[in-house]
Amino acid sequence: MLEIKDLHKRFGDVVALDGVSLTASPGEVVGFVGANGAGKTTTMRIAMGVLAADSGEISYDGAPLGVEERRRFGYMPSERGLYPKMKTADQIAYFGELHGLAKATARRSAADLLEQLNLTDRAGDFVQDLSLGNQQRVQLAVSLVHNPEVLILDEPFSGLDPIAVDVMGTALRDRAAAGAPVLFSSHQLDLIERLCDSVVIIGNGKIIAGGTVTELKAKEVKQLRVTVATDEDLTGRFPGTVTRDGDDYLVEDTDDQEVLRIAAAAGRVTHFAYDQPTIAEIFREAVTR
Amino acid sequence: MTNQDAETSRLRGLMLVAGREIRVRGLAKSNLISLLVTVVIVGVLAALPTLIGGDDSDEKIGLAGANAAAMESQLDAMGGFEVTVYDSRAEAEQAVKDEELEASVADGVLFSREGVGQELQTLLDAAWQAASVQTNLNEAGLTDAQIGEALAVQPLEVVSDEASGIGSALDYFTGLIISIIMFMMLMTPVQYIAMGVVEEKSSRIVEILLTSLKPWQLLGGKIIGLGVISLVNLVAMIAVGLGVASATGLLDNLPEGTASAAISAVGWWLIAFLLFGALAGGVGSLVSRQEEAGSVLTPLIMALSLSYVGAIFLLNAPTSTFAEVLSIVPPFSAIAMPTRMAIAEVPVWQVSLSVALLAASAAGALALGSQLYKRSVLYTGSRLKLTDALRRAA
Repeated sequence: MLEIKDLHKRFGDVVALDGVSLTASPGEVVGFVGANGAGKTTTMRIAMGVLAADSGEISYDGAPLGVEERRRFGYMPSERGLYPKMKTADQIAYFGELHGLAKATARRSAADLLEQLNLTDRAGDFVQDLSLGNQQRVQLAVSLVHNPEVLILDEPFSGLDPIAVDVMGTALRDRAAAGAPVLFSSHQLDLIERLCDSVVIIGNGKIIAGGTVTELKAKEVKQLRVTVATDEDLTGRFPGTVTRDGDDYLVEDTDDQEVLRIAAAAGRVTHFAYDQPTIAEIFREAVTR
Repeated sequence: MTNQDAETSRLRGLMLVAGREIRVRGLAKSNLISLLVTVVIVGVLAALPTLIGGDDSDEKIGLAGANAAAMESQLDAMGGFEVTVYDSRAEAEQAVKDEELEASVADGVLFSREGVGQELQTLLDAAWQAASVQTNLNEAGLTDAQIGEALAVQPLEVVSDEASGIGSALDYFTGLIISIIMFMMLMTPVQYIAMGVVEEKSSRIVEILLTSLKPWQLLGGKIIGLGVISLVNLVAMIAVGLGVASATGLLDNLPEGTASAAISAVGWWLIAFLLFGALAGGVGSLVSRQEEAGSVLTPLIMALSLSYVGAIFLLNAPTSTFAEVLSIVPPFSAIAMPTRMAIAEVPVWQVSLSVALLAASAAGALALGSQLYKRSVLYTGSRLKLTDALRRAA
């Protein structure tokens, strides 16, 4: 389990992080959401040891995180970086070796990843000759080549086409299924909703909301939406506060079973459920609160 | 993880970085082509003195008259002559006119079409005098053996006090080549090191690298990698230069120290490369964009260029105080001392002092360069001032 506890970081007069804590359990995909400048990248860079925190600690499986443990992590920084004049397969294998793989293992792993990412025919090309989307895939391969125990990815989906988004999403889920904690940031909240088990929302260097996706949605539950196939106007007959949303009835502050009985008596109930907020709505709510 | 494993992995990281530099830069087509071109140029330069001095074939000389036999044995003893003996002076002179001969010597007359070179005339003069003496002594009743004994004179041993004199044109040429090669072989890798550091910074790849490497491994690997590439180039040039020189016989004409000066230049280069390479890595990390690399490299390039220009001045006055000072004070000594050693005798204490000072500065440069690098490699934004960089937390 990856634990980040009470990180503080200032850049001059600017407070970048003000007590950030979060955890990622084995097999859990954690989405890291926040406005630009909220502190996502700073948190991830500190977690990867490329930036030093003013205070706070990071532990992995209960022990403080050191260089040797981090070598088993996979990292994709927010600003992509590859050697432009190095061949694709060589480059991926090189990073594998840097992470401690034997030469042959690194080459095999690079070939496997290129296969998965549909890049096998570009293995011998210089990275600078690849399209931006393909460079992104290579970047992903670089972060995955050593079969990392933990993934920390800063905006892995930015700039990807829908197919690459699927490839990336599958890769993340696969790693989580294999037991790796995965922490990634994104502004694409629909993706977060689809891929993540839990979400952490950061604003101005502080965690402002967090929890599993179900928990978050339950907390923000809104009105009961009922659709009944009938010509009769049921507005006056439902208890509580009732409003119309097109043909739907939105019922609040009442006994839902009572509403169901009345609706069923009036006609065929085609929809009966609490409206669930999207992660985007939760995010907007949390940020403006 | 045990200490030994950690040690291995630290070394492995260093070597992986060095290996990448060698593969990507050393085996790049551009490097291989430039190596080939340089080696060819050095080979041609080494062969040049022989090619220009070219006409080494024997001088064709005709002899006739009373002294002809004695002259012939003298010229044979001197070597470098193809002698033909004619029955009469007229025949010999006709052969000169027909351009079969360079000159003829008969009855005390040196005959040629349009005069002979100073050197040839001196040699023929000497032979003529010796032959005349032999003939005269013969006529005085001495046997050939006695004459031989009387004439057996040890030739003058030529000794020059090189420390106080200026070396020959060949020494100058050797010094010039050494200074040019030293300059080139420092300039190129030093720029590559700075460019490599900036490349990693500007592409932000350094952020990924530093999650699995320590800054010193990244900088050290780069310096080692480019050092190996340059060393291979340098050794290839020196080997080809000395090889061609010895094949054309030039090496025998060079002062005794030349080969060892060329080989010791590798040692000087190594220390100087560490000095300039470490500084280049350090200052390279101060900037985040390739366009800014030139500005931070300027002081290093100036220092290298001044060292080179100084070495050229030194070639013209190898015994001056200027030459002595320049070849001892680092970093100028890096190029100046091996150049001076090629052209003049240098007291051992001066060489030792120069090595010690240069090595000490190289150690200082390594410390400074790695501190700069460690503190600023992850900083992005506008160019860092040197003092700001040193004040930053590592």
